[in-house]
Amino acid sequence: MQSYDYPHFPDYASNFHFALFTNVSNAADLRNRLVQASTMQGEEGEAERQAVDFAFIEATLICSSLHLRSAILNSVLSQSQGTLRTKTVHSEILWNLNPTNNISDAIRRYGVSPSTTSLIVVRIGPPSPPSTIQAQMQEVVSGTLSPISELKNITDWAKVRKYHKIGQKMDKDPIKDTQKAHEIVLSTVAMKSVVV
Amino acid sequence: MTLYPVLYHSNMSEFNTPTQRIIAAATLISQGAEAKVYKAELHPPAISGSTSDEGYESEPVLIKHRFNKQYRHPTLDASLTKSRVAGEARAINKCLRAGVNVPGVRMVDLQEGVLGIQWIDGQSIRFLLGGGAEGEEEVEEVDDDGFEEDATESNEDSLKEYNITQDDTMQLIGKEIAKMHKADIIHGDLTTSNMMLRRPSASDQVPELVLIDFGLSYTSSLVEDKAVDLYVLERAFASTHPASESLFGTVMKAYEKEAGKEWKTIGRRLDDVRLRGRKRSMIG
Ligand SMILES: Nc1ncnc2c1ncn2[C@@H]1O[C@H](COP(=O)(O)OP(=O)(O)O)[C@@H](O)[C@H]1O
Ligand SMILES: [Mg+2]
Repeated sequence: MQSYDYPHFPDYASNFHFALFTNVSNAADLRNRLVQASTMQGEEGEAERQAVDFAFIEATLICSSLHLRSAILNSVLSQSQGTLRTKTVHSEILWNLNPTNNISDAIRRYGVSPSTTSLIVVRIGPPSPPSTIQAQMQEVVSGTLSPISELKNITDWAKVRKYHKIGQKMDKDPIKDTQKAHEIVLSTVAMKSVVV
Repeated sequence: MTLYPVLYHSNMSEFNTPTQRIIAAATLISQGAEAKVYKAELHPPAISGSTSDEGYESEPVLIKHRFNKQYRHPTLDASLTKSRVAGEARAINKCLRAGVNVPGVRMVDLQEGVLGIQWIDGQSIRFLLGGGAEGEEEVEEVDDDGFEEDATESNEDSLKEYNITQDDTMQLIGKEIAKMHKADIIHGDLTTSNMMLRRPSASDQVPELVLIDFGLSYTSSLVEDKAVDLYVLERAFASTHPASESLFGTVMKAYEKEAGKEWKTIGRRLDDVRLRGRKRSMIG
């Protein structure tokens, strides 16, 4: 799990943590649990919502740590300006990752789905011990906690390019081609607030 | 953890928003009539976990802050600022998609009039051609954060240091501008200050030419607009780099090569534009 402290973020959101899980076996259950938690009543509902108070992200659509952190940056900026487009700072990450302006598309593509096997889990909040957060993540996800560097073997570039409409080859050299596609993705996320 | 002087801390409460705090901790690079430009840190490295999960950990960003103009009506000013920041970001994205070398977008805050873009480790062509600093706008670099760069550094051998000849540099310029025009993007302010050479990462590599500053750019497929764009650059070469005719000639040859069959009409129109320019200066 990676933990970050951004001094420019407001105190209530100055830290964030994310972890990559591979071989995830409970994606379908997790998805149901998220849907149920959102409507559950009373104290039980509160506790359940707290237990799943993360962003759950389809890891095959994430290109790099910077890609994810760019979406997190936007989300915290919107939260601090009172301009969230979605319910929480966590769901806002999905909104920021998705290149179109459709919230249900964002959740369907970038959120956890029954077929998810690689998952990134994010928590944004005030400073708290990484070990506590990691334990809370492992409480809800059944899978192998993997180093974020594993992402380079997981990213589904064909799908990323499709969603971002990067059709043509950007360079003859395949490494540069991917770098250029990555740059388009980063820029598109960073300028999400601009209507293209 | 960095320890800041007490004074800094006591001022911190003035900086209410994340963007204001980013700027407060940044280093001022230049101040123009419309914007202040800073070097800043947007994404600090991890505090735990693998601290170098990729190569971007230490990549700074360039922050362009379009500050409030007192002489403009506040509402008009705010909406003008928003549309300029958005316009610059859009132009960059369009360039990236067309394969034109430009710094990528790293953050946008329309409310604050801030655009954050990828930091280019390199030098402006103006500097590398010995054109000196950009007039009074340039600010002495405050070396408070370990970031290199010295604005007064000698530039005699700087192109050599970049592993490239003057002629090849001019060719890179012509090619990049032609690619941009093919995508129907007009830069609007082509000068040698608004293009940079990126320092090559390995000693055997050719540096990359990067076009910057899309603050005045717009989309157009008109031959006239492309010709005027080139004319502006020609004038900039003539005034900043005297005896530069042969340099600009090389730029144009490379442009012609990349532009292909488009060149005929653009080249002819450029002649017209030059003629108009001369007439105007004779009258005026
Ligand atoms: N991406 C960048 N990386 C590094 N330096 C840059 C970058 N963009 C601009 N600069 C430097 O900052 C100066 C001012 O930026 P620019 O975008 O041209 O703003 P202005 O509208 O004030 O001219 C440039 O001339 C260049 O020296
Ligand atoms: Mg400029």
